[in-house]
Amino acid sequence: MNEGHKPSRGVTRRTVLAGLGAAVAISAVGRRAAAATEKEAPQLATLAKDGKLPPLAERLPTKPMVVKPFEKVGTYGGTLRRGLRGSSDHNGILRMVGNQGLVRWNMDFTEVLPNLAESWEVSADATQFTFHLIAGVRWSDGHPFTADDVVFAIEDCVKNSELYSATPAQLTVAGKPVMAEKIDDHTVKFTFAAPNALYLENLATPLGQHPTLFAKHYCSQFLPKYNPNLEAEAKAAGVAGWTELFRAKCGDIEIPSRWGNVDKPTLDPWVVKEPYSGGATRVVMTRNPYFWQVDTEGNQLPYIDEVNFGISQDVESLMLNVISGKIDIQERHISVLANKPTLSQNMEKGDYRLLTLVPSSAQQCQIYLNMTHKDPAMRKMFADKSFRQALSLGLNRQEIIDIVYFGQSEFFQAGPRPTHPWYHEKLARQFTEFDPDKANAMLDKAGYDKKDADGIRKRPDGQRIFFAIDVIPTLYPDLVDTLELVKAHWAQIGIDIKVNTIERALYYSRGDDNAHDAAVWPGPGGLDPMLDPRDFFAFHPQGSRYAIPWTLWYTSNGEKGEEPPESQKKRFKLFDEARSTADLAKRGEIMKQLFDITAEEFETIGVCLAVGGFGVIRNNLRNVPEKQPDSWTWPNPGPALPQQFTFTS
Amino acid sequence: MLKFIVKRLFWMVPSLFAVSFLAFVLIQLPPGDFVTTYIATLAASNEIVDQNMAAQLRERFGLGDPVLVQYFKWMWGILSRGDFGISFEWQQPVSGLIWERMALTLVLAVASLLATWAIALPIGVFSAVRKYSIGDYFFTAFSFFGLSVPSFLLALVLMYVAAVEFGQDVGGLFSPEFETASWSIAKMLDLLSHLWLPVAILAVSSTASLIRVMRANMLDELPKPYVTTARAKGLSEFRLLTKYPMRIALNPFISTIAWLLPNLISGSVVVAIVLNLPTAAPLLLQSLMAQDMYLAGAFVLLICALTLIGSLISDILLALVDPRIRLE
Repeated sequence: MNEGHKPSRGVTRRTVLAGLGAAVAISAVGRRAAAATEKEAPQLATLAKDGKLPPLAERLPTKPMVVKPFEKVGTYGGTLRRGLRGSSDHNGILRMVGNQGLVRWNMDFTEVLPNLAESWEVSADATQFTFHLIAGVRWSDGHPFTADDVVFAIEDCVKNSELYSATPAQLTVAGKPVMAEKIDDHTVKFTFAAPNALYLENLATPLGQHPTLFAKHYCSQFLPKYNPNLEAEAKAAGVAGWTELFRAKCGDIEIPSRWGNVDKPTLDPWVVKEPYSGGATRVVMTRNPYFWQVDTEGNQLPYIDEVNFGISQDVESLMLNVISGKIDIQERHISVLANKPTLSQNMEKGDYRLLTLVPSSAQQCQIYLNMTHKDPAMRKMFADKSFRQALSLGLNRQEIIDIVYFGQSEFFQAGPRPTHPWYHEKLARQFTEFDPDKANAMLDKAGYDKKDADGIRKRPDGQRIFFAIDVIPTLYPDLVDTLELVKAHWAQIGIDIKVNTIERALYYSRGDDNAHDAAVWPGPGGLDPMLDPRDFFAFHPQGSRYAIPWTLWYTSNGEKGEEPPESQKKRFKLFDEARSTADLAKRGEIMKQLFDITAEEFETIGVCLAVGGFGVIRNNLRNVPEKQPDSWTWPNPGPALPQQFTFTS
Repeated sequence: MLKFIVKRLFWMVPSLFAVSFLAFVLIQLPPGDFVTTYIATLAASNEIVDQNMAAQLRERFGLGDPVLVQYFKWMWGILSRGDFGISFEWQQPVSGLIWERMALTLVLAVASLLATWAIALPIGVFSAVRKYSIGDYFFTAFSFFGLSVPSFLLALVLMYVAAVEFGQDVGGLFSPEFETASWSIAKMLDLLSHLWLPVAILAVSSTASLIRVMRANMLDELPKPYVTTARAKGLSEFRLLTKYPMRIALNPFISTIAWLLPNLISGSVVVAIVLNLPTAAPLLLQSLMAQDMYLAGAFVLLICALTLIGSLISDILLALVDPRIRLE
């Protein structure tokens, strides 16, 4: 009966739960004969029959991409309900709906699979990428998707200096933007100025969506090159200039207006019906009749008719919706440990099951002492390796794990997670044991052997050792709890800190100004060590908080910031080498050398391994993997392919 | 009277300028700007903004300009072509975002105001006339209870009971089918059927103070000689009360109309957020948090304009209602 195609329900779903399963089973069997010919949703079949839509064969590519359903072939119908929080939650839609890049991730987050590109060739030096697009794919308005669209998106949009004053970082290598050229209708070649072996992985992340974001036949009307009257049209639309009009109509990867225009053609499984705009209280998306994927039996995806994102201003009311069964799948916003007891208790009432999220982060709480501090005395202290090692030994990690993380973690410093093939024992576990005696001895030896009346150590210049650690309480309440314990632990070895709870914009501007003593953040790079290596060397201008001036030096090719020490430069070089090595095994060897240096330098102090989040799935929603990576680069649940999620009766 | 109104209208112009400038500066005061908060918001879900993108956003929004320049550009747009600027966050003209929300806010504000008065006036008069009776104690206790329970808590409890115990849809001002429908009789009725909950919650908290004010004013008036005289002349008790002491006692109600509008907007922020109401309050709060200056500035400007208009209305009404007040 699973293959039976049923018209959309809504009420039926609940009626069935009340115990009418048998009746539905009979009716489903009755429709089975028809299912063999109908390979599309009933509403679309009706539209096609009435001539309002071309027949399915003309809407699908000749060789549509076949997706193997996670559990079983599904049935058409239903509305998937999910929650957004207020404004600026556009990525909540992106993660669910907008993941149709040239390539995509596999479920395990280990391999890049074909998506809109059915195959590709990479030149030996990883500078040229030739993508073969699936022939016959159409935009949601029925217009063919071809190499012209990809070239248009790169050459006319992304490389337009008025629209993008700088080309997105993913598409820039060695300071030069990529060059896209059409080989034939379904073949497009990307040429980089220097090797870029990581490009395929990057292309599978949300920030890699540019090549398939802009439909030429639609978006070209918002570019002056194709439309001479554009300035006048922009004025008439009430916006200041054509660039604003372009963004309002065609959007960009992660801005709200991407979901604010119902006319914009997309390649997503669902298209906007009620847009995400400033006044919206919900966003409704409806199936794309031209979606180019089918299941293993040739049925056009998606199975589910509509996706309804309710906008809650408040997480508590979102929680209320979840426990009363008004949400079909949700992990975003509710996935904090504190909510787990409530959600577990109400599983029966809300008729849902729990979803396990495997963190892609490495570290739950990474402490970054600012080694490039503006005050020379502080800088000298933080730059002293034995000082940092002593602080690490002074942490009672077991207590933190027991009290703050309910015992669900293990001692960890940095680096790929224990399950990752690149796991590095020394980097991950050194100096994690609790040894205050040794810590005290190390601090004495490092020249901090005098103490004041409170038992706090003094620096050689007579100042007591005191620094503030910035943390954002509204964002990571657990890190505040952790730091309170850290403060107590470090007081025992004669170090005084202040848990500096600040507002998040201030946290960022203090970092940008290099005005912080120290800061905490969850450390990434557990499952995606190549994509976010900020804890392994000074990589991220906002994230590598132990030495932001060094990262500026790295990203600006030595023009800005401050020249880093030799060991950092060596790692920049190793990382650049790894980035241009296509062979995964070889890349692993290079990264191991990099990890060796990182372990030796011991720049950041980690507390414990990142703890998994969770979510809920309604029991009648199937084909959802109950264990998913949790990451921005694997933008869950998108890569689990929501288009093959289905409701059972 | 006309001269007074014209003079007052004239004075509103510089007041509005002063207030809007202050508001604009205040919105700018927190550290960082829209782009910083935007990046911070995305980082909150561990989502990353392209570094090149951040730099270019700042340039595009003119965030590098001094505050004064930004302010005058904004003001000039409003005065010359009624253009309130673009909301950074939504890439939409601000004017398109605020009007419907302001309209719903006014509906909610006026409805709550009427409900509050409808409850507070009779109870206040009753409590004063029947001072220290059981009824007085009952209503006093009840109103203090209303005052002491935070309205967001009341909202959460009511929502929990309705959602979990009765499986009702709560939150919002419309049923799903009407949310994006254009205005019609059916939509109005739908609005009314959803309006009672937020109105009740908002009224409960503001009723208590008004009851006390009304009661105290009435108690001031009741022993006055003119009341005794009127009673001696044989006026019925009800007519007596409504004709004289109540008119005077109403004075504070009328003179606070000006504050009521902004109070109802700012006072209802938390309730509106909890109940998911599509009013101005949540959008205003969000725009302030995101430092979406033009959107926040437009809201503040409108609220100030409402306050000024409200105070004009209350002055006119006072002159009409209270025989002791003269314009000269």
